[in-house]
Amino acid sequence: MSAVRFEGVSKLFGPVIAVNELTLDIADGEFLVLVGPSGCGKTTSLRMLAGFERPTYGTVYIDGEPVNTKMPKDRDLAMVFQSYALYPHMTVLKNLSFGLKVRREKRDSIRSQVDDVAKMLDIDMLLERRPSELSGGQRQRVALGRALLRRPKAFLMDEPLSNLDAALRVQMRAEIKRLHERFGITTVYVTHDQIEAMTMGSRIALMNDGLLQQCAAPEEIYDRPANLFSASFIGSPTMSMAPGRLCSEDGVPAIEWLGTRTQVSGEHAAALKRLERESELTIGVRAEDLRWVDDAPASHAVRLSATVDVVEPLGSETLVVAHVADRPLTARFPPRSGVGSGDKVELALHPAHLHLFDARTEQNVLSVGSDQAHTSTPTDNEAALASERS
Amino acid sequence: MSASTEQAPLTPPIAVKPPSPSPNRYKRLTAGTVSANGLLIVLGAAFLVPLLWLVFASFDKTATASLRLPNLSLIHYKHELTGTNLKPFWNSFYIAAVSTIVTTVVALFAGYALSRRHIPFKRTFMLVVLFMSGLPVTILLVPTYQLFVRFNWLDSKFYTSLFIAATSLPFAIWLIKNFIDQVPIELEEAAQIDGAGNFTTMTRVVVPLALPGIIATSMITFIGAWGAFVIPLVLDSNPADTPGSIAIYQFLTANGQVNFGDLAAYSILFAIPVIAIYLLVSRKLSGAFTFAGGIKT
Repeated sequence: MSAVRFEGVSKLFGPVIAVNELTLDIADGEFLVLVGPSGCGKTTSLRMLAGFERPTYGTVYIDGEPVNTKMPKDRDLAMVFQSYALYPHMTVLKNLSFGLKVRREKRDSIRSQVDDVAKMLDIDMLLERRPSELSGGQRQRVALGRALLRRPKAFLMDEPLSNLDAALRVQMRAEIKRLHERFGITTVYVTHDQIEAMTMGSRIALMNDGLLQQCAAPEEIYDRPANLFSASFIGSPTMSMAPGRLCSEDGVPAIEWLGTRTQVSGEHAAALKRLERESELTIGVRAEDLRWVDDAPASHAVRLSATVDVVEPLGSETLVVAHVADRPLTARFPPRSGVGSGDKVELALHPAHLHLFDARTEQNVLSVGSDQAHTSTPTDNEAALASERS
Repeated sequence: MSASTEQAPLTPPIAVKPPSPSPNRYKRLTAGTVSANGLLIVLGAAFLVPLLWLVFASFDKTATASLRLPNLSLIHYKHELTGTNLKPFWNSFYIAAVSTIVTTVVALFAGYALSRRHIPFKRTFMLVVLFMSGLPVTILLVPTYQLFVRFNWLDSKFYTSLFIAATSLPFAIWLIKNFIDQVPIELEEAAQIDGAGNFTTMTRVVVPLALPGIIATSMITFIGAWGAFVIPLVLDSNPADTPGSIAIYQFLTANGQVNFGDLAAYSILFAIPVIAIYLLVSRKLSGAFTFAGGIKT
């Protein structure tokens, strides 16, 4: 178990900046998810931590010790690869014990440790098989077991579930989370799937184009995306966006959007006062905050007239894509609402649920001028988690 | 609208059998097939008749240069498998084994480095290696001879084997590099993060996975060295070191007259290891070892 720290780490492949000035603290025992679209630098960051790539600039620390020049074998980490990377010429038993064998552990102790882990992962009847004789889920378990056996300083997982089918993925997701809770080993988990990120991480580090966009607990990223990228990447369905402009109504800040004016109050109002007059804004609203008038609580005072375009019944709810002033917005309707394509509907929302971004900088207006909104420190987060558990 | 519905009215109501491929198709004799098959028969005979002679003559007590039914006897084989005539087989084996081991080990490390490491001008280097593997050995012989004189390496089986190893190295490097390219890099990374150093990764992961290729390469090297003729002829004139290839040559020239029966039997015995290796290699390689299951592709 160990803390990991990236300090101003950059990686250049020729002229391409794969990772740009990454500074990130991962606390001892934390489950950190590195998430972002393909090519955002998340895997490169993980490979720098593993020791397969050397940072062009900056330093990677494990337990406060700089490891830039350390060989992967000396870092005492374990990794689960996207492709599993099981040794095809060895049986499951040999795959599992390889790491212990090359570290010259005693034969008896290797066997008993392998048996323990195999039993825990339900692969104890597969020990004599070769990887080619296993199903995808079984291979995934063997790969996990190989990592677990090592009791490393940290687990690195590179999209470990992306080759599994949907049902198995959900099952393994829970299993990995359970293993983390049981052993409390620092885990860095790379994925492009925001649902995996939301469900698994104690914190999420969101990357794009080699830059760290936001690093915070899942709920915080969801509720307070630091910028437009965070807002649109995290959350399903994607947050609806519309352009708007800052204006004032009798000294009260308001926004002009979708052909209407909406007064804002509270922290939004305070934040908007820091902006220049007539600033261009991008306004985001999540589907669950945009309701059908018939279904909305009274506090949803803002009304928008919309024309239904697409209706997607999901069973427990219905997602409706409706056009307001030619902008498509996704709203959450109750099931069996009976609306159809082309219907005119009234949508309702609460102004406090809006997400306001400066159109020029693409930053959340709430985080302008106050850096602390950008990231929460791992210690804060761990403390919060600890209090949650107790 | 699909073609079938368009054509439907045109099809007669009773199903007409489509013209099946004529059963006579392969029996039809035309000038073309006759001449092609004739040519193939002539070519086949050109290869088979000498072989047939070789087999017949080796069992013929009174063999001559002409093809005829043998006067059955095993005397030639007995002759070859006794006394001093066995020594050239051992010499050939020694030369082939030493050069195979040296070539395979060196090519393995060279091929690994060329496959995995970043090396400046790697492509150029690989092309040079490929070019060198096609270089006739006779070009190198005169300077090599002088080198051997200088270092006092002449008439030594061991140094002769080393030179044979050097000449077979380019092709072996090229082959092994391509086999190692097939081993997924993730497996090496997995081994490294499991705690294996470079050497352990090589011996425990890369070599077992590239083994079919390594075996094929070493067998090709063995066959080449087994039949090496010019190099031992020039570099090692010690009669005690004469390999089989030169021994056969000496049957033709010794005493001005040729003992065809001995020559034939010797040739067949000399060919047996090569044929056996060919059979082994083809079985080993057609048993296609795969990386299935190791990584998901």
